Amino acid sequence: MRLSLEWLKDFVDINNVTPDELNLKLTMIGLEVEGVESVDGDIVFEVNVTPNRSDCLSVLGIAREVSALLNIPLRMPDFKITGDTGGCEIGVNILDPELCHRYAGRTIKGVRITGSPDWMKRRLERSGMRSINNVVDVTNYVLLEMGHPLHAFDMDRISGGVIRVGRAGEGQIIRTIDGVERRIPDDCLLIWDSERPVAIAGIMGGQDSEVTDRTVNVFLESAYFLPSSIRRTSKNLGLKTESSYRFERGTDRESLINALDRAAYLIRELAGGEVSERVDEYPVSFKAEPIPVRYERVRRVIGAGIGDEEMIDILKRLRMDVRVEREHLLVIPPSFRNDIGSEIDIIEEIARFYGYDRIPVTVPKIPVSMERPGRGHSIINNIKDTMRKIGFTEAINYSFLNMDDLDMLSIPGDDIRRKAIRIRNPLRTEESHLRTTLLPALLRNLRYNLSMGNREIRLFEVARVFQNDMVFENGLPMEKHYLGAIYYLSRLPELWKDETPKFYIFKGFIEHILSEFKIKDVFFERSSEPFLHPGQSADIIVSKRRIGYFGLVHPDVADRLDLKLARPEIFLCEIDIDSMITLIPGETRYSPIPRFPYIERDIAIMVDESLTAASIAGSLRDFPSELIEDISLFDVYKGPNIPEGKKSLAFSIRYRAKDRTLTDAEVEPIHRGLVQYICNKTGGVIRG
Amino acid sequence: MIKEIEDIKTVFIEELAKTGSLSDLNNLRIKYLGKKGILSSRLKALSQLPSEERPIFGQQINDCKRFIEEEIGKREGVLKAEERKREIAREFIDITLPGKYTVPGRLHPITVVMREIIDIFTGMGFDVEVGPEVELDYYNFEALNIPRDHPARDMQDTFYISEDILLRTHTSPVQVRVMEKKRPPLKFIAPGKVYRCDADISHTPMFHQIEGLMVDRDIAFSDLKGILEVFIHKLFNPNTPVRFRPSYFPFTEPSVEIDIGCILCSGSGCRVCKGTGWLEVLGAGMVNPRVFEMVGYDPETYTGFAFGMGVERLTMLKYSIEDIRMFFENDIRFLRQF
Repeated sequence: MRLSLEWLKDFVDINNVTPDELNLKLTMIGLEVEGVESVDGDIVFEVNVTPNRSDCLSVLGIAREVSALLNIPLRMPDFKITGDTGGCEIGVNILDPELCHRYAGRTIKGVRITGSPDWMKRRLERSGMRSINNVVDVTNYVLLEMGHPLHAFDMDRISGGVIRVGRAGEGQIIRTIDGVERRIPDDCLLIWDSERPVAIAGIMGGQDSEVTDRTVNVFLESAYFLPSSIRRTSKNLGLKTESSYRFERGTDRESLINALDRAAYLIRELAGGEVSERVDEYPVSFKAEPIPVRYERVRRVIGAGIGDEEMIDILKRLRMDVRVEREHLLVIPPSFRNDIGSEIDIIEEIARFYGYDRIPVTVPKIPVSMERPGRGHSIINNIKDTMRKIGFTEAINYSFLNMDDLDMLSIPGDDIRRKAIRIRNPLRTEESHLRTTLLPALLRNLRYNLSMGNREIRLFEVARVFQNDMVFENGLPMEKHYLGAIYYLSRLPELWKDETPKFYIFKGFIEHILSEFKIKDVFFERSSEPFLHPGQSADIIVSKRRIGYFGLVHPDVADRLDLKLARPEIFLCEIDIDSMITLIPGETRYSPIPRFPYIERDIAIMVDESLTAASIAGSLRDFPSELIEDISLFDVYKGPNIPEGKKSLAFSIRYRAKDRTLTDAEVEPIHRGLVQYICNKTGGVIRG
Repeated sequence: MIKEIEDIKTVFIEELAKTGSLSDLNNLRIKYLGKKGILSSRLKALSQLPSEERPIFGQQINDCKRFIEEEIGKREGVLKAEERKREIAREFIDITLPGKYTVPGRLHPITVVMREIIDIFTGMGFDVEVGPEVELDYYNFEALNIPRDHPARDMQDTFYISEDILLRTHTSPVQVRVMEKKRPPLKFIAPGKVYRCDADISHTPMFHQIEGLMVDRDIAFSDLKGILEVFIHKLFNPNTPVRFRPSYFPFTEPSVEIDIGCILCSGSGCRVCKGTGWLEVLGAGMVNPRVFEMVGYDPETYTGFAFGMGVERLTMLKYSIEDIRMFFENDIRFLRQF
C-alpha cells in the first residue's frame, strides 16, 4: 500500500520522528516499508501489508499502529453529519444475510459533479489512484483514508427506490463500469434495484447506475460482505479491485457507518447537496468474544520475561479491551482487528510491540536423534559425487515436459512415458506436463550449449520423474528418482590419444557407477529404445531387472535435433535410481584374503564374429571347476591372420585353491579340459 | 717371476684406466681372470716350479688376482654409475607438457549451497525428511491453516493438476506429513523443489526450498532466534548482522522474517538491498496451534518453530549471481564455476 506521510499527519503528530525512523519503526512492527519515494515535498512509503492485516490497508489503519507504537493520540477527521434533511428515499432489503451482514446508505440530493480540488487529486494520485469526478473521488478517498470500500450510485437510475442484496441466480449478465459485459456465476452476490442487478457486490458497480457528469442525486453504499464470498466471485470473474482486495481480507462491520458519514460529509463539502438520514440494515451483528490470555503462557511461548504490566499496556495501546484477572487477562479485540481470535494471536501482538529485537537469543536443548538416516539421501549425494568425479557436470532443469519432445524421441503412442501428468494452468504450452523422462531436457541443454559455442558437453541430472500409471497415495503419482546423463565431445585436437571407441568410454561410465555401489550380477542386453542406435545401445539389467539404458542417439533423432553437425555422436543414459538403490548390497561382510598363490593361464580363441564376449565368458564360468577363481577378457582382435567373419578373444583364467599351493601339474589337465570345453561350446578354435 | 707378476699388475692398471664401458671391462676381466686368461696360465705354470717355491709364487699370483678382481669391481661401480647417468640424461622429458586425467565435473551451485545448509543443520542434530512434489491441496494449504478462500493463497500462485492435487508451492507440507507420522520431539529439515506459476527476472516456476521444524515441550521464540542466528552465522560469517522482524504466515504465529545485513554494501544501501541495507533470507515462526490441532498434537503440551528459506536466493547472495534464470539455463561456462 502506498502511504503519504502528509496524509498520515492528519491522524497522528509525527513531526518529531524522521521519515527514516518511521520507516524502521513500521518495518519492525511488521509493516514492512519496501520503498520510499519523494513526491513534491511529501514522502510516500510503499508498505507491505500482510494478508491478515486488512485493518492496515488505510491511512487510518497505519495511523492507529503509529499511535500505539509511539504512544501518541489519534486524531479523527470530521465526519459528523449535522442537519440531516429527511429520511433516506432508498430502502434496503438484504435477501442473503449470510453473505451480507450489514448494508448502510445515505442519499445526497442535488450534487454538482465537477473535478475534485487539487489537494484531493494529489492524495489520490500519490496513493496510486486516478481522479474521476468529485463524487467518485470521495468514495476512493475514503477507501484509502478509512479502509472501507464505498460505492456511489446515480440514485435516479435505481428503479423502484429500493436496493436488494441477493445472489445472482441463473444467467445474469451485467455490464460493469469498465464497459465489460460479465456473465455472473449463480452463487455470486449482486446488488439489485427493484428490477435488475446494478452492481457486483463489493467488487465493481454497473455501468447503468454509475455516477456521471449528469448525475444530480447520489446513493452512497457502505456495506459488509462476507470475505470468502467476495474472494470467490473475484476469482471466478478474474476481476480484482481496490474494493474486492479489502472486502476479501475482511472489513470492519462496526465502523462502516463512519466511512459512510465521512464520505457523505466530504461530498456535501465538495459537491454540495443535501444528505439524508442513514438507512442501515444490520442483520448479523458483530460480537467479539473475550479471549483468555495467560501471563505465563505468553512468557513461555516468547521466551522472554515480559512483565504483566507491560503486556496490559501494549494491549491497551492497541485498543483492546483488557480485563485483568488473577492468572490471566480477558482481552476483547476492537472490531477492526478481525485477525485476532485466540490467545496465540494476542501473544503475537505482545511480541510484536515488545519488540522482536528485545527477545533473548537462546539455544534449545536438543535431544539426541534416534532416527537412522535414510539411505536414499546419501546415495543420491554419492551418485552426484561419482558423476562429478568421472567428468560430468550437474544440470538442473524444470520438472516440466513438452509432449512434442516425446515425438522427437520417436516414443510410441502406447509407451508409459506418454502417460504424463497434465498441469491445468501451465505458464507455457511447452511446459504443460510433468516429466516422465529426463532426456528431453538434457538434449535441450546440449543444443543450448552447442549454440553457445561449448564443445565438450558432459552433463547429468538427478531428479524426480512422475509416473501416472502408478499411485503413491491418495491419487498422487509415484515420484521416482532418475539419473540422466548426456555426453558429447566434438573432435578436439588432443595431445594424448585414446583410441577407445566412444561407446565403450560411455559404457565405462555406467560400469563405474555400478561398481561404485558394488552392484553385482549386471548384464547388458541390446536395447530397443526407439531413440537409441539399435546397434550401439544397451539396457542395463541387474539381477534380471531393467534399471536403465544407455547408448548412442539414433541418427534420425540426431537429425531432428538439428544441431548443424555432421553425424554427431551423442550418448545418453537414464537410470532408475530408486530401483538401483534396492539392488545395492546391504552391510559389507569381510571375506578372508587368500593365503595361497594363484596360477594364471590364457586362452585365445577364434570364434564367429556374432558371438558376444559376454556369452563366451558366461560359458567359461559355467565350466565346473572349483579352482577357477576369475575369468577376465584382455584382448579382442580382428585383422590379418583372422579370417573374415571371425574374431579372436583372449581370456586370462586364474586358478587358486583355498587350502594349498597349486602346482602346474595340477592345473594343466583342468586347463586343457576348459579349452576343450569352450571350443566345443562355441565352435571356436584355439589360436597360437 | 715376482717381477713378471708386478709387470702384469702395471699393465693391468694401465689397461683398466682405458676401459670406457662395461663391455671393455668384461673383456679385460676375461683377459686377466678368464679360464685362459693371463693369471690362469701363470697358475698352470706353477707346476713347473720347485715345490718349495710354489706356495710363495702361488700366494703372489693369488694376491694379484684378488687385486685385479677388486680393481675391476671398483671400476665396474664407476662405469655403472656413469652409464646410469647417461641413461637418466636420455630419459629427460618435458615435464611442462600436460598430464592426462579426467577433468572433474562440477555440482550445480544450488546443490552446493543446499548441501552446505543441510550440513549445518544436521551438525546441530536435525534429521532430513522428504515429501512428494505433487501434493494434495490438504497438505499444501489446508493443514497449514490456509483454507480455500483464504487470501494468503494469493501469496503463492499455484500450479494445479486437479481440484485437490497441485504442485507443492513450498516445502511446508513435509512438516504436516512428518507430524502425522511421528511424535515429538521432532527436529528436521526438508529440502526440495517447489513450484509457483510465476516467471520473470526474479522468479522461476520451479525453485528450491529448505524447510525446518523443531517441536518439543517448551520450545520458545527465543530458541527460534538462537537456532537461526547460529545458522546464518555459519552460512555467511559470524559477524553478519541479523534482524528479526514481524511478518505473517498462516501456519506460524508469531511469524517472523529474518534479514541479514546486506553482504554487498555492508548495510550502507545498494541496488541489491533496495537501499535498505538489509536482505530478507528466511521466513519463520512459532508453529500455529491450529496446525498442531490438525495433526493431533496437543498445543498446550507442545510448542515449536518452523522456518523456510529459498535456496536460489541464498545462492545468488553467496555468489553474487544477479539473474535467477541462469540456474536453469545450464550453460556449462556457468556451471563449471562452482
